[in-house]
Amino acid sequence: MTPDDASIRNRDAQEAADRSANYEWGFSSDIEQEFAPKGLNEDTVRFISAKKNEPEWMLEWRLKAYRAWLTMEEVSWAKLDIPTIDFQDAYYYAEPKAKEKLGSLDEVDPEILRVYEKLGIPIEEQKVLAGVEGARKVAVDAVFDSVSVATTFREELKKAGVIFLSISEAIREHPDLVRKYLGSVVPQRDNYFACLNSAVFSDGTFVYVPEGVRCPMELSTYFRINAENTGQFERTLIVADTGSYVSYLEGCTAPMRDENQLHAAVVELVALDDAEIKYSTVQNWYPGDAEGKGGIYNFVTKRAMCAGARSKVSWTQVETGSAITWKYPSCILKGESSVGEFYSVAVTNNRQQADTGTKMIHIGANSRSTIVSKGISAGKSNNTYRGLVRVNGAAENVRNFTQCDSLLLGSDCGAHTVPYIEVRNPSAQIEHEATTSKISDDQLFYAMSRGLSQEDAVALIVNGFAREVLKQLPMEFAVEAQKLLGISLEGSVG
Amino acid sequence: MLKIDNLHAIVDGKPILKGISLTLNPGEIHAVMGPNGSGKSTLSYVLAGRPGYEVTEGTVALDGEDLLALEPHERAAKGMFLGFQYPVEIPGVSNVQFLRTALNAQRRARGEVELSAGDFLRLAREQADALGIDMEMMKRAVNVGFSGGEKKRNEMVQLGIIDPRLAILDETDSGLDIDALRIVGQGINRIMRKPDKTVLLITHYQRLLDTVEPDFVHVLADGRIVRSGGSELALELEREGYGAVAA
Amino acid sequence: MTALALPTPREEAWRWSDLSALPALAERTPTGRAPNALPWIDCEGEAPRLLFVDGRLDQSRSRLGPVAIRAVAPETAHPLGRLAGHDGWSLRLGRDHAPAGLVQIVHVSTGATDHLAAEIALDDDAQASIVETFVGEGWTNRVSGVTLGKSARLMLNRRVLGESGFVSLTDHATLGEGASLVAATLAAGGRDTRLDGEVDLAGEGAFAEVAGALLARARQRHDVNLVVRHKMPSGTSRQVWRSVADDRAACSVAARVEVARGAQKTDGEQSLKGLLLARSAMINAKPELEIFADDVKCAHGATVGELDRSALFYLESRGITPDEARALLTRAFVAAALDRIGEKAVCEAFYADAESWFEKPSPLEGEGGRRKAADG
Repeated sequence: MTPDDASIRNRDAQEAADRSANYEWGFSSDIEQEFAPKGLNEDTVRFISAKKNEPEWMLEWRLKAYRAWLTMEEVSWAKLDIPTIDFQDAYYYAEPKAKEKLGSLDEVDPEILRVYEKLGIPIEEQKVLAGVEGARKVAVDAVFDSVSVATTFREELKKAGVIFLSISEAIREHPDLVRKYLGSVVPQRDNYFACLNSAVFSDGTFVYVPEGVRCPMELSTYFRINAENTGQFERTLIVADTGSYVSYLEGCTAPMRDENQLHAAVVELVALDDAEIKYSTVQNWYPGDAEGKGGIYNFVTKRAMCAGARSKVSWTQVETGSAITWKYPSCILKGESSVGEFYSVAVTNNRQQADTGTKMIHIGANSRSTIVSKGISAGKSNNTYRGLVRVNGAAENVRNFTQCDSLLLGSDCGAHTVPYIEVRNPSAQIEHEATTSKISDDQLFYAMSRGLSQEDAVALIVNGFAREVLKQLPMEFAVEAQKLLGISLEGSVG
Repeated sequence: MLKIDNLHAIVDGKPILKGISLTLNPGEIHAVMGPNGSGKSTLSYVLAGRPGYEVTEGTVALDGEDLLALEPHERAAKGMFLGFQYPVEIPGVSNVQFLRTALNAQRRARGEVELSAGDFLRLAREQADALGIDMEMMKRAVNVGFSGGEKKRNEMVQLGIIDPRLAILDETDSGLDIDALRIVGQGINRIMRKPDKTVLLITHYQRLLDTVEPDFVHVLADGRIVRSGGSELALELEREGYGAVAA
Repeated sequence: MTALALPTPREEAWRWSDLSALPALAERTPTGRAPNALPWIDCEGEAPRLLFVDGRLDQSRSRLGPVAIRAVAPETAHPLGRLAGHDGWSLRLGRDHAPAGLVQIVHVSTGATDHLAAEIALDDDAQASIVETFVGEGWTNRVSGVTLGKSARLMLNRRVLGESGFVSLTDHATLGEGASLVAATLAAGGRDTRLDGEVDLAGEGAFAEVAGALLARARQRHDVNLVVRHKMPSGTSRQVWRSVADDRAACSVAARVEVARGAQKTDGEQSLKGLLLARSAMINAKPELEIFADDVKCAHGATVGELDRSALFYLESRGITPDEARALLTRAFVAAALDRIGEKAVCEAFYADAESWFEKPSPLEGEGGRRKAADG
């Protein structure tokens, strides 16, 4: 199969705008003008590393991954219909200036504009998101009240000692830290896409929270306008030192006008003794048209190492859109009394396919995990939860509770639950429950008889279904997520 | 019969009982009352030997023998019965099977003759009837699908069948309506009001004590007995509240 | 001498399987010595009884009744099932056929490998009750095809006993409108098992209950792979599995419910529970759901854990010793699966076998395999 576009191109003016913005805030000095030649070989890797001004050890690391990737086999166990991807038919590094900018909002796909309206996004922000020329400065000024606001954020973080940089910057400015933890949670050879990512990643975030520090703000609010890490191969590394806390938000509810067909990101989290990391994702990838064409393939490897005693990592995700999603945020519960949580709402509509879930690996005694997965299927879509809860022989007193609920809207969609439970210690208590339901005609009628339109009624009931997960999100995200649920299910009932 | 001396106990590392001393003689009915969190249930669990409840100081003697050195089933064989505040559900094990096994285990331990299946069923039916419980319920799994009130009445059936010398009843009245309360109270009187038996009633409200009139009432607050008296003390508590009396 | 083509754990359906003993078992020669005492269940009348020794019918000790010995053709691509060949036994009952009484089949393996196929076809409104018991050593491989016509009813219960070796059963059942299948399996003894079942509810309003109790100790492995497919509306299915694993044993249950598009008003329930008695034992569970219809009731649960501590204390507080309390609760745990057996005599026999498994000391005792739950 050939994608609609003959080649996979990198981001458009949107990203160019981001990079300029980054430059203004002093985050990155990575503005160059060249393309790497099409295709992927060792030279491509060298090119990327050179463009990023990386030290020798980093290039070696990438090359090691590239060579390993050549020997690996693409995975096929997910219940997905993935067309074969031609890895040579792509650009792995391109300067976004090559993309055209739009003159004004009038040139933007009206469908996208309609969504922006529904989400309540201010016009100026819409211009930035859509990639309207010149929008950046204006928007930033309008929304952020100019440079001063952004500077305040940076200063606060600096005062607290929190390091929050792009991964490229971090490799240059804090090489020891990065080197210590990079690949420690997701080794290069972990899986096919993680390996590819290790070789060619060009974007991403690095966060380090020092001992005892409670990060003063949610990290990302800052990045909202900068349209959030939608690079093709992102690499994120977050390290929370002893007794620290950080809440990181990834994603954006506005649909990303993104022509990258393939996204293969890697996110590594490390939590030391008594540290806590809260990682929330609200993603609305452009799902392609109603026939599922032109959508995005999203393969993400996200894993947390709860290394320290009493460490805690919470993954919360709201996933919608995306033609095909394949992601399993996981926790390795190594520290004693460590805690892993996974809260997920995955919505599929039209012909989308989602295969998502989590792995909780219990190694430390008294470790606990909670999994709440809510799948909402509509249209002709398929929604799969795939999970693993494993308790090692030496892990005493482990507790796990898993709840997988599926909501089916209409009779053409499907929901699939595939949980693996592997227990080797008799003191463990593992509980798994799954339910399947639909919105009953009674429920709909009741809501509508009280004045709600059918659309609103569906949104209300669906939000109720997903409440347990949504309430885990930091507030501003939660509000957006709720709206998003409603929008993504438009036209799905009746 | 039961002598509790300076009992201290901790739960999850927290001290709950902070020096309780109490003597219960045969033929006596004692009521222990107190606000929530005073340690009432802890006292009953410690006496019954529940894991997770650690005695840090003090002694408890049953007929002169060290009670704390005995396992829960050994305490039962010595004649102790704990009426649970939250009776446990046991799917797959019928009431009849449970109680016959328990009763015969105790008899065996005491060197007594075990009951045959027929004799046991007769006994069970007797006790069930006296408490207004259908024999059908006795054939069902222990406490599964029982309402709160039914579970408490089930505890009473067990009391009647096992017929212990010392009954510790933990908030037996919680969750009961007026009628059920009366039946339970009458049951306690019928089974336990005897010169060679003792009852320790742990209760939050006074109303059960209308039917089962105690000889002694003790007020438990913050892990200690702060006042003792006769049955009129219970009425005083009802009127004045715990705060005033325990002050 | 063809080499056995066996699947590896890299295939999802064989993820927890250990088939390493099979090639050796395939090479052995049977001793041919069948025991005199056979595990027949006492029941009245002259119901059919079949004794297979190493896959061959022992005419002198069998009573065929309506069961025929002939070539049957259960089609299967299953790697073990397809080795079973086409020779076997067949029970076909015509429309409204009077029940044949409890049909008992005992399979004795004397140390090598034997294969046999089977076919059960019940026409509209016919009924049958069948108990198969597997004893001995060696590898017993069976494939069975079941077809139930409209409102036909089949009770098919199996016991895997015997000291050592391997038993692999591959079943495929197709249920017509309103038909009912109740199948319970007890795996006790000392043999490893691989039990594969596919049950298709192909007619409206069909009913299938597939239950099993898996008891494993020493280095035993029980491996179950089950799928119930609701293809038509208003079907009901129940999957109830209870596993108990001690010493270095492992029990794995992968059970799936599939609800096809249009199979509305399906009622599917799944309850997989496991009890670990020792640290080096292992329990695996995969309660899988694949749903394509929205008006369905599917309740699924799986738990792996130890015996409920408050239940243990409750029993002990009434005078029951810790060991006896643990035994009571463990039996109650297993009973949830065996309770499904409708016939009293069969149910009692299965209970007795489970009981003797519990009473027999583990062969690994003294190797430090058994955990003492003193803190129970």
